[in-house]
Amino acid sequence: MGPITANDNPAMIDLRNLSRWYGRFQALREVSFQLAPGRVGLLGPNGAGKSTLLKILLGLLPPSSGSGRVLGHVLGEDSAALRRTIGYMPESDALVPGLRGAEYVALAGELYGMPRREAQRRAHEVLTYLELEEARYRRLEEYSTGMKQRLKLAQALVHDPPMLLLDEPTSGLDPAGREAMLRLLLTLGREHGKAMLLSTHLLGDVECVCDTVLILHQGRLLLQGSVAELCRRRHDRYRLQIQGDATTFREELRLEGVRILHDNGRGELRVVVPPGWATRTFFALADNHRLLLRGIQPDDEDLEELFHRVLNEEGRHGRESEPGRDA
Amino acid sequence: MGESRNQAATPELLHYRPWRGAFRPPIASVWPIARVALMSLFRKWMFWVIYVLGLLIFLLFFFGQYLLSWAQTQAGETEVQLGGWGRTNPRQLIQLFRGLLKLDGGPQTYHNFFSYQGYIVMIVLALAGSILIGNDLRFGSLPFYLSKPLSRWHYLLGKGLAVAVFINLMTTVPALLLYAQWGLLESWDYFYERFDLLLGILGYGAVLTVTLTLLLLATATWLRRTVPLIMTWTTLFFFFRLLASALVDGLRFSPRWRLIDLWNSTSLIGRTCLGVPPRPMAFANQPPWHEAALILGGVSLLCLIYLIRRIQAVEIVR
Amino acid sequence: MPDLLDSPDSGRGDRPLTAGLDLSFHETINPNHSLTVAAPTAAPLLLCQRVSKWYGPVIGVNQVTLELRSGITGLVGANGAGKSTLLRLITGHLRPDLGCIQVRGWDAWSTEARQHVGYCPETDAFYEEMSGRQFVESMARLCGYSRREARKRTEAVLERVGMAGRAERRLRGYSKGMRQRIKLAQALLHDPELLVLDEPLSGIDPVGRWEFIRLFRDLAALGKCLLISSHELEELEKLTDHIAIMAHGRIAAVGTVAQIRDRLDNHPLLIRIDVRGHSHAEHGNEREARRLAAALLKLRDVVGVELLDSPPDESVDPVLVRARNPQRFFQELTHLVLEEWYEIARLETLDDSTQAVLGYLLRGCSA
Repeated sequence: MGPITANDNPAMIDLRNLSRWYGRFQALREVSFQLAPGRVGLLGPNGAGKSTLLKILLGLLPPSSGSGRVLGHVLGEDSAALRRTIGYMPESDALVPGLRGAEYVALAGELYGMPRREAQRRAHEVLTYLELEEARYRRLEEYSTGMKQRLKLAQALVHDPPMLLLDEPTSGLDPAGREAMLRLLLTLGREHGKAMLLSTHLLGDVECVCDTVLILHQGRLLLQGSVAELCRRRHDRYRLQIQGDATTFREELRLEGVRILHDNGRGELRVVVPPGWATRTFFALADNHRLLLRGIQPDDEDLEELFHRVLNEEGRHGRESEPGRDA
Repeated sequence: MGESRNQAATPELLHYRPWRGAFRPPIASVWPIARVALMSLFRKWMFWVIYVLGLLIFLLFFFGQYLLSWAQTQAGETEVQLGGWGRTNPRQLIQLFRGLLKLDGGPQTYHNFFSYQGYIVMIVLALAGSILIGNDLRFGSLPFYLSKPLSRWHYLLGKGLAVAVFINLMTTVPALLLYAQWGLLESWDYFYERFDLLLGILGYGAVLTVTLTLLLLATATWLRRTVPLIMTWTTLFFFFRLLASALVDGLRFSPRWRLIDLWNSTSLIGRTCLGVPPRPMAFANQPPWHEAALILGGVSLLCLIYLIRRIQAVEIVR
Repeated sequence: MPDLLDSPDSGRGDRPLTAGLDLSFHETINPNHSLTVAAPTAAPLLLCQRVSKWYGPVIGVNQVTLELRSGITGLVGANGAGKSTLLRLITGHLRPDLGCIQVRGWDAWSTEARQHVGYCPETDAFYEEMSGRQFVESMARLCGYSRREARKRTEAVLERVGMAGRAERRLRGYSKGMRQRIKLAQALLHDPELLVLDEPLSGIDPVGRWEFIRLFRDLAALGKCLLISSHELEELEKLTDHIAIMAHGRIAAVGTVAQIRDRLDNHPLLIRIDVRGHSHAEHGNEREARRLAAALLKLRDVVGVELLDSPPDESVDPVLVRARNPQRFFQELTHLVLEEWYEIARLETLDDSTQAVLGYLLRGCSA
């Protein structure tokens, strides 16, 4: 069997009306989507069906109904061949105590079906790439959280899969570690053409790494699309950072027809301006009141707002259409 | 950004390189699983004390056989004075020793060897159960294994293989060495005449392997930690043994009560395999061997069913 | 996030604390600090004075001085920087080897002090077989409340953390968010003034995190003082801008993010300015950005200007400026804009987020 790269196949994931039942509980409801290879963020609150979806994509669970393909592999057929094309980075620690770093990654390679020597060679290569060179011969028990996380990435990369499935790759990392991990993922996706599906609770991760986002809620696909396109552009909204006492400044803004949506009390104002507004006025008003205007940003919707907007809309919609639904 | 410039400046070494090659079928991952499990078993220095003990027992048998055999060829026909006890022929004396110590290449030799090594294996297994499989459940290593292109069967097979290899390294393999040694020391005819002993050794080894492997995997999956595992094994193999002998020998219950003693059952089947003549006196009233076999088969089956159910229930993605 | 926008300005009334601990860089701490902070009114809620703690030869916390009066304070830093140790010292779970910690004037080790402190630990060690309600109730009993009082308080705190309706299940089956809620509930039982929360936001889904943030704000609005350690800086920024940064067991800086940023003199601010439109005819058809860049270079505090490519779908030209002395720079920029008629579409400091500040500080430490 020849290796499959992301580019050979037009669709990374192609699901058609996929459902999954656990007894009488329906975890996934008629989910359909097509994704071109890229960096995809999978979002959803607890119980949205994210882990069920991941299990199905890994071939660990068959779909109850509907069909799907992952990189050309039909779901529910040859799950071993499917998993060979995916590098899975689990959320849990998933370490084998007693092993050393290089042995652990080589074992992963062997389990993926690489010949032993190849797996060992490749383990060292991947660990060097992930800047764990020094820690290669240390026991896994001695690894720090950040190192463990990179080690988990290493074991998912060892067989050079065309696609990575990442479950909370930044959980437990400190800010510096998180930044490094996100940069790594971005490089892997952009420069080495790895398709990736990133499931996370941290919207910032998705914003940083992914170009496409999927939002699941109560087993349904609520939203799919590119992050840039989904977030609303709001040309009449600004976020202002000011330094100094803003009471009179706010009054004056109101008189000019500016509506103040929010004042966080720490010098940040979110405002709606009337049509034909020139930002020069902000400077003029600030100068009048001896304030320092330190920031003016177009207040476009970010992923967090998008996420909550979509969930709220769904909540309202859901309550109207299905009054007796149990949570 | 400073970082990206830094990264661009790093030498070729740190670049990601693709890998292309043929993958092997999932069954090929059974041995790596077993190898890693064995490796972690042999990395615990504490266990080496017990391994050395096992080695000593083997050496005792090995050199015991060798020395007595050598002494027999060296001893002349002349009778020697044994203190104030009278005179005797040394050859007869050595023959007597061999008979008493059961170092005569007969079925009892191998049975004795198996039961001594068996104790050692039991101790190691009780200590090692959590390392072999319990830790995988406790520290969540299972998702690591099962997210790879292999099924739960391959995983169990790999772990089972590790235990099996370990048990056989401690019992069957050295027993076969003793068998070969005896043949070489005495005469080549031994291999032809006592071919049944070879089969017996293999059979006994197989029974021990299958029962202990399944029992260990099941109890270690259930209990996960070392201390409860040791307590359970002590109960199973020590207190049940006491209880059985108290019931049968003391209270004169039916010998069937001995069936609660699993160790006795394996030993009984081992005797049957090797063809050891029924022992007189103490342990005479034994249940028939096929009932013991039935019990062991049942226990093994139960363990297997439990294992499958337990491993099926593991959530790989939480 | 309409709810976050609409919520009243809960974090506002709690600024006085900045006065007590105006940005004390560790190196500059005055040994007589304790004399200068002797407040005329009540003793401060929390006062750590030159606290150190060792684990064998390993130093966990190294001469930390910190004072809190009210409001929300974020504690940030790398893994292993000593945050959890400091929190456990404050809650009286550990005893400092040097220095002293006082809560409302009581030694943190004493029972009196503990009545003022609620602690929500990072690890979750529960009796897995209990239900959430049983767990909280037994914790209340351990606090010494009578059965009736314990039940009453349990219901109150469960209500507060939003668990009243689902506290019957066993803890074993709880999601991480529910565990965090239960931990918070038991910390609130005795209605403490100071809440010490170790990574309360980790592992919670976005909806839960959002509810938690609102809950923390409400608690702060009730006059509680919250000390929250977190790795999720974006979330922390929504709660508060008053942070304490820990590195290598020491407090590297305390204050608002802006204050700390302004103190980092060796890292000039990186500011992006998007300008709209073309210049007047006298300069030919030159872009406004070029004119602005030239004008900016004349300012005293500007150390560098860079013209960036304009984003594909917008009619603006970004200029990247590096400037020292932010106060004066922004003042002069305002004058420039007003006098020279620039239309600024965006004015954004790129490196004044908590993340950036933390990065600069920690890189400074390790270098």
